[in-house]
Amino acid sequence: MSLLETRGLTVRFGGLVALDGVSVAVEEGETVGVIGPNGSGKTTFFNALTGLYAAAAGEVRFQGRSLVGLEPHVIARLGIARTFQSSRLCLNLSVYDNVLIGMHARRRTGLWDLVVRRRHFLAEMRDAIERASHLLGLFNSELAARGFERVGQLPQIDRRRVEICRALASQPRLLLLDEPSAGMNPEETAELMKDLQIVREEMPGLSVVIIEHDMFVIEGVSRRVVAFNYGRKIAEGPFAAVAANEEVREAYLGRETARA
Amino acid sequence: MILVWAAEAVLFGLVVAGLLAERPAALAATGGAIVAAIALVRLAPGLRAALARAFAQHPTAAFLGGALGALALPLALSASPYWTFVATLALLYITIGQGLNLQVGAAGLINLAGAAFAGLGGYSVGLLTVAAGWPAWLALLVGPWVAVGVGMLLFFPILKTRGHYLALVTIAFVFIFNILMNNLEFTGGPQGIKNIPTLRLFGYAFTTRPALLGVTLPAHANFYYAALLMAGLTTWIVRRLYDSWLGLALNTLRDDEIAAKCCGVSITRGKLLAFSIGNLFIGLGGAFYAVMVGFVSPPDFDFGYSLVMLSVIIIGGVDSIPGVILGACLLLPLPERFRFLHEYRLLLYGIVIVVMLLYRPQGLWPAAVRRYR
Repeated sequence: MSLLETRGLTVRFGGLVALDGVSVAVEEGETVGVIGPNGSGKTTFFNALTGLYAAAAGEVRFQGRSLVGLEPHVIARLGIARTFQSSRLCLNLSVYDNVLIGMHARRRTGLWDLVVRRRHFLAEMRDAIERASHLLGLFNSELAARGFERVGQLPQIDRRRVEICRALASQPRLLLLDEPSAGMNPEETAELMKDLQIVREEMPGLSVVIIEHDMFVIEGVSRRVVAFNYGRKIAEGPFAAVAANEEVREAYLGRETARA
Repeated sequence: MILVWAAEAVLFGLVVAGLLAERPAALAATGGAIVAAIALVRLAPGLRAALARAFAQHPTAAFLGGALGALALPLALSASPYWTFVATLALLYITIGQGLNLQVGAAGLINLAGAAFAGLGGYSVGLLTVAAGWPAWLALLVGPWVAVGVGMLLFFPILKTRGHYLALVTIAFVFIFNILMNNLEFTGGPQGIKNIPTLRLFGYAFTTRPALLGVTLPAHANFYYAALLMAGLTTWIVRRLYDSWLGLALNTLRDDEIAAKCCGVSITRGKLLAFSIGNLFIGLGGAFYAVMVGFVSPPDFDFGYSLVMLSVIIIGGVDSIPGVILGACLLLPLPERFRFLHEYRLLLYGIVIVVMLLYRPQGLWPAAVRRYR
């Protein structure tokens, strides 16, 4: 059984079919790349998986359980974490805060502990902060030392790292990365690839689905690639095969028309 | 440590002098001293740094000094029942402000119905004591829960709205509350509820004039100390809620609902918690007010008071616990001090809020980074 499996997943906005009968499977420990031109339904696919958009038809199964109709926070608690194309960090909160919120669903203390049995809460929090600084330290040892600074003071690449740490903090089974290299220069993108490598080594059982426009990133991290166009899956397979696929090339570059 | 206490003693002296000065000359002298003190701290960087360092190094000493000042204030104001009353009101607004800030500051729920929730607490106390014959202390404990209960009924329409629309719904609620209180038979209509019995604890009536260290205080000093205890407890509880996963979850859903959802935060549960806990403390403030004044009527809880409550937060510091304390201590006594401006009071509130939002939206004492201590 695959970790994640969609069958005929369809999302509609009024008359527009944003996602049209998509069937994709992701195995445990696997990294799958998702490519496609702008507006081809990649982010919609993520939003449908995480429950932000309701599926009009089709099925999503995660660890054998149907996700259709579940609320986003319930899906997150089942073990699907994600990042966003345009960073969705709370810039006014500290680096630790932004990572710790990822562990929200894993907390064991209740309101009573917060106010009256404070020791229980503080002990839990110490562990959580330690985990957060371990995660941050994987990418950048300086980041862990800046835990109590506001995220707004960090450079772009570190913000992206914090967002990945927030997703990893929930100890997910499946990580969805929505165009992590967006807005980065080539050097930063190279650093990001190293970071993704670290994630792969640290968490070998974690499955990753990554949306990317940068083909070097896709080629570097993913074994298998799925290509989207107009909300449909148009190709699937190893990177080289998908990149050579006629329909994929056409989606990106347009059809060559014979000149009269 | 000496520096901390010296600074707090100077502050205490200036506050007392500022409140009690009657003659124009004395008032001008105190005003001048306050301006001079502020200018000295702002313009002498050496002194400012030394003060900041001293307060950072000795937080316990600073807290003890502040607590001592708060305890000693009725002694200094013993000649004036009026200012003792105003100081008690400021403490009530600290309680209310901490509750409201959990909604407005932490969770971003712009609640302009603060006066209505305080009124629900106040009217519950009135009805429970006068109509049902409960003792005041029991009504004081139960009344706030009526505010919580009604808040929960209002919560579900609220959940569907956000931002400005939420503000509109809550404004509507204040007016509905006022119209109901004015027209319902059992709440006494425009007359309100009179003769709410005073607080009585272990046979001690709060109308007795207490004597402390040989000084006979006005009867309001009883309420001052009760309100100090209440504000202290509220602040203590709210601080622990802020500095926890609850405060963090509320801040995250305020800043970015989608990100919060995808981190496993239930938006409904988070907002309901913030709204209910906030209403509990707002209702507690209103209930205490009813017991203290012995009388509730619709104008005691009209929309203007919602604005005062919100101003306490905006001036003090959105999402900031010390900010609420500062805001209440500034905003309640100052307009009383300048009573001759009474006609223009609401106008001044408006101007102050606009100026703050334009030039210092984070408030006079902005929220600090969460430290989980």
